[in-house]
Amino acid sequence: MNRVGASVLALAVALAACGGPKPIDPRRQMGANPYLPPIHQYLMPPMHVAKIVPWGSAMPSVPAGLQVKALANGLKNPRSLYVLPNGDILVAEADGPKGPINRPKEFVMNWVEKQAHSKTKAGNRILLFRTDDAGAVTSRTVFIDHLHSPFGMVLVGNDLYVADTDEVLRFPYQTGETSITTPSVTLTELPGGPIDHHWTKSLTASHDGSKLYAGVGSNSNITENGIQAEYQRAAIWEIDRATGAHRLFATGLRNPNGLQFEPQTNVLWAVVNERDELGPDLVPDYLTSVKDGAFYGWPYSYYGQHLDPRVRPQRPDLVKTAIPPDYALSSHVAPLGLVFYTGTNLPAAYHGGAFVGEHGSWDRSILNGYKVVYIPFSNGRPAGMPQDVVTGFLDSKNEAHGRPVGLAVDTRGGLLIADDVGNTVWRVTAADQP
Amino acid sequence: MLRDNPRATASLAGLPVHSVLAPVPIVCFVGAFLTDIAYWRTAAMQWANFSAWLLTGGLVVSIFVVLAGLIDFFGDRRIRGLSSAWVHGLGNGLALILSIWNAFVHSRDAYTSVVPTGLILSGVVVLILLVTGSIGARLVFHHRVGVRLENGR
Repeated sequence: MNRVGASVLALAVALAACGGPKPIDPRRQMGANPYLPPIHQYLMPPMHVAKIVPWGSAMPSVPAGLQVKALANGLKNPRSLYVLPNGDILVAEADGPKGPINRPKEFVMNWVEKQAHSKTKAGNRILLFRTDDAGAVTSRTVFIDHLHSPFGMVLVGNDLYVADTDEVLRFPYQTGETSITTPSVTLTELPGGPIDHHWTKSLTASHDGSKLYAGVGSNSNITENGIQAEYQRAAIWEIDRATGAHRLFATGLRNPNGLQFEPQTNVLWAVVNERDELGPDLVPDYLTSVKDGAFYGWPYSYYGQHLDPRVRPQRPDLVKTAIPPDYALSSHVAPLGLVFYTGTNLPAAYHGGAFVGEHGSWDRSILNGYKVVYIPFSNGRPAGMPQDVVTGFLDSKNEAHGRPVGLAVDTRGGLLIADDVGNTVWRVTAADQP
Repeated sequence: MLRDNPRATASLAGLPVHSVLAPVPIVCFVGAFLTDIAYWRTAAMQWANFSAWLLTGGLVVSIFVVLAGLIDFFGDRRIRGLSSAWVHGLGNGLALILSIWNAFVHSRDAYTSVVPTGLILSGVVVLILLVTGSIGARLVFHHRVGVRLENGR
């Protein structure tokens, strides 16, 4: 770094150090009733991302009774996973499109973000892994190439849907295919560039296959790109599979990801990344069931009806209707992956609940997230505190070997984890089972 | 014989760098105050973006203005002997510190990047610049700091 850079950084550190409350114990912000401290607005948020170091011989760690193995490595930004009915595993390699620089701040933010992500250029394609009975990859092919920041994937019958950042594509798929070269058909366009602040479009389908659900994240942290840029964003879209027509199924969800139907109750759930720069412990990210027609607050309020002073004009009429989400995960953990465990491979303690992939924080002095947690469910509702399942993405020096993103369960019941910094897909099984 | 004028030590191509560059940050900081007012009245984010760029641009050019000003100040004891030169320098130093603070406030997101702290800081800086700027003008037009005589001095 040059001398100017060093002094700017020193000034930034000094400013960050002189203001700001100390982070609280994240466990106070987990579950149904998180503690919400007063708002603290920084002069300079404490931008703290873990330095990236390769995995080398290190491995993620799991509790007794489980084992973890690398399913595949040497990937190019694997972000999300999908398992086809025949057991083939799809891996979307993606990164976000480059947005414009609207403010001097964005130079700094882009630089910080670069430090937190893999230096590998993303593939922007979908790979297919075929595995043997031991769960090891036997063949690896490029399944669909030349995509535009792909993330969500879902198969309905013989229609494979892929959510690029700006449209939902439909590809014809026959069981056993390892590569699709047939051109896609656009089902629905999604809000994309030129800003495209939250670009990951999560995708799932209703049980009967008639509707698709797409997560469309906000175009800013808190409307700093103008409210016009948020048109039909921070919402979950319900898309009619036959016509491509859509309506907003739920709104006020800043960056919803991991859309999944809870298997017992058939209710839609999502993990949501909440807003930044209100302090190290505001606002908690969350896991929630998504109610049809509900408004979850963004941008006007958080966690129900707590007003965000940064949004003008305010909308008291909307805030009055805002409902709090179901289950807090604590602040800035950046949940991006969600899967309900329906397999039988893992021990009984992991049956029926939800795994959440926490990508990890960048704007608090004490890192939070950077792990996969398990939340037990009972009768379709969370029942108990989150338990750490896969850790070790951060080492003892707080350097990051990896960051978990998308999750999936393979046909043998193994839990799959996309690691977009370690460029690896991890597979967790019971210690005594392949 | 004509009396020699206080010299602008920091000169380029015969022009005093401080006086030539000083209007740039002044215009930027006055502009930031105006775009802050426009944002406050309209809540249209682009006005706040203008403010952030104007503050950043003003601060970058200020680095050269300050350096040239300090070189002039310490380069000729006749300038140091003028009490208005001290007021001019210290006042502008205060305006700069407030503007750095203001640039950080403007790095927040949306409304509170301007209202109320940013708007107040922008306004206070403009008031300070009105005083220090007119003192600066007096230093040149009254005390003839950096003014060359026809014989080349």
